[in-house]
Amino acid sequence: MKLYVKIALFVVLFIAVSGILAALILYNKKHPDTAKAKPDFVVTATVLQKEFEDNEAAASARYINKILEVSGTIVTITPTDSISTNISLKTGSDVSSVICNFHKMTNPSRVKTGDEISIRGECSGFLMDVLLKNCAVIPGRK
Amino acid sequence: MKRLFLLAFFLNIVFAVNGQKYMTKNGFIGFYSHTPMEDIKADNNQVVGVLDISTGEMVFQALIKSFHFDRALMEEHFNENYMESEKFPKSLFKGKITNLASVDFSKTGTYDVTVEGDLTIRDVTNKISTKGTIEVVNGGINANSKFNIVPEDYKITIPGVVRDKFDKSMAVTVTMKYTPIANK
Repeated sequence: MKLYVKIALFVVLFIAVSGILAALILYNKKHPDTAKAKPDFVVTATVLQKEFEDNEAAASARYINKILEVSGTIVTITPTDSISTNISLKTGSDVSSVICNFHKMTNPSRVKTGDEISIRGECSGFLMDVLLKNCAVIPGRK
Repeated sequence: MKRLFLLAFFLNIVFAVNGQKYMTKNGFIGFYSHTPMEDIKADNNQVVGVLDISTGEMVFQALIKSFHFDRALMEEHFNENYMESEKFPKSLFKGKITNLASVDFSKTGTYDVTVEGDLTIRDVTNKISTKGTIEVVNGGINANSKFNIVPEDYKITIPGVVRDKFDKSMAVTVTMKYTPIANK
């Protein structure tokens, strides 16, 4: 086989393999690792809830899809099924809080109501409370 | 006769004030569709639900972005392509238990119910009717229902190439664990 043919074949093969690898990587991409990711915003639960309450449209544009690090006091811990848990944080409102969903909470007994905690998660939006998903507890922060 | 009317009116006021409302912020809605390659399965555990046991009215509201898929890419496609959750962030069900009289909320037990109402997804509203159960337990009320929805009924368009691979309808499961709203 002529050399240029060999090179051409090699290049085609290389492109094909790269394409397949790229597709596989994209297909298997993971949810962001919120425990390790750098947060887009660091805010208290009280401030975050107030922003949504005062102007839901503006707060939605600012925070939805972003990674937020929210600090506050735990009000309730609700296991919602065999693997998922919702933790709600105290805010300035009696009826509206910040609720963080942990899809697979490892060691939920490590936290309890009344704890001061920092949680990092992706902001989903606002119903009656600010809702976060894919949450992780950030240890050692008050 | 007049006294009877006044009594009925008065009783109505009392019940309206104590109109028992129950609520949850951790309601579950999941959906599922089988495909030969990979099943489509998503869970939302942050559904807000309110149940008024005096009228049988039920309302649920869910954020589309709160649906969790194990496969991150599927979640992205769901939000960006199929549901356009930036344009239509929430879905809503407003309905009522049609056979309210057959449920005794003062007695623990499980009751079969039919619920009818309006389901709004992507700003498209359709009337739905579904069977479910109401379970009266100590300190709360659990509601469960399973029903099917056809994505095209809500203008959710799935490209032809991919569409053949799924079931025509999605199986939806709703599980609400309500607790009473304290009278303030």
